[in-house]
Amino acid sequence: MSEVISPKIQNQITMLQQLQQQMQTLLNQKNQYEIAAQETRRAIEELNETSDDAEVYHSIGTVMMQRPKSVVLENLTEKAENFEIRISSIEKQEKLVQEKFESLQAQVKAAMEGGSQAA
Amino acid sequence: MSSVDPREVQSLQMYLQEYSQQAEMVSRQLAIMEEGIREGNGAIESLRMIHESDGGIVLLPLGGGVNTRVRVENPDHYLVNIGADVVVSKTKEDSVSFLQERITEMNASYKNLSEALGRLQSQIRDISTRLDYLYKQSQEEQGRRQGVSTGVSQKIR
Repeated sequence: MSEVISPKIQNQITMLQQLQQQMQTLLNQKNQYEIAAQETRRAIEELNETSDDAEVYHSIGTVMMQRPKSVVLENLTEKAENFEIRISSIEKQEKLVQEKFESLQAQVKAAMEGGSQAA
Repeated sequence: MSSVDPREVQSLQMYLQEYSQQAEMVSRQLAIMEEGIREGNGAIESLRMIHESDGGIVLLPLGGGVNTRVRVENPDHYLVNIGADVVVSKTKEDSVSFLQERITEMNASYKNLSEALGRLQSQIRDISTRLDYLYKQSQEEQGRRQGVSTGVSQKIR
């Protein structure tokens, strides 16, 4: 039931697993930023629908301070843009890791197939 | 030579682990969502009751089961957390409709997640069935091999 896998292939499989973990970490980070960006965009929408004289409080440190609506909107817009930049940076990293993964996967597959044909 | 491919077993085990983790994560999300829906409905109920009590006294929980009496200063306006660390003053009606909107969205997500969980559970069942079959097949082959070797040793004796 067992087949011998060469140390080189074993090493490549370990690398594949590491790349997979790296992709998972990036995906988790991206998800967190996407959720935060979505929440910020929704808060902006909600604020835009609120009347200009409504009391608006924003968290500063451990307290909620009353701030002018325009200032809070400006802060939120900046925050949303920052999230978008982080997301696109993670997407670039994701692409690179994915390419590495696919190339290594093809190498392992070719080596395994070669090995089984030889056997 | 065994007919059970160890690579298939390994791959199925990996998929089983992956799907089980995903199912656990989805279950946790469902529990959070359920709690959110319950909390939203509770808040709507509280808003209505405070409004109806018209300046009556309510108990404000301080934690650890301790409460203090509070008279609601302005039962027509509430401070609503709209997300992203922002709190906005809203009328009672706007606060209720804000909560209702969120509850509707959460219900829709809950339904989608429940369906996703159902699909994952079905995949987990299929993989487990296949793995069970492969384990049994492997054990039977092992048993047959042992039977053959015992027979040979008996003949030698």
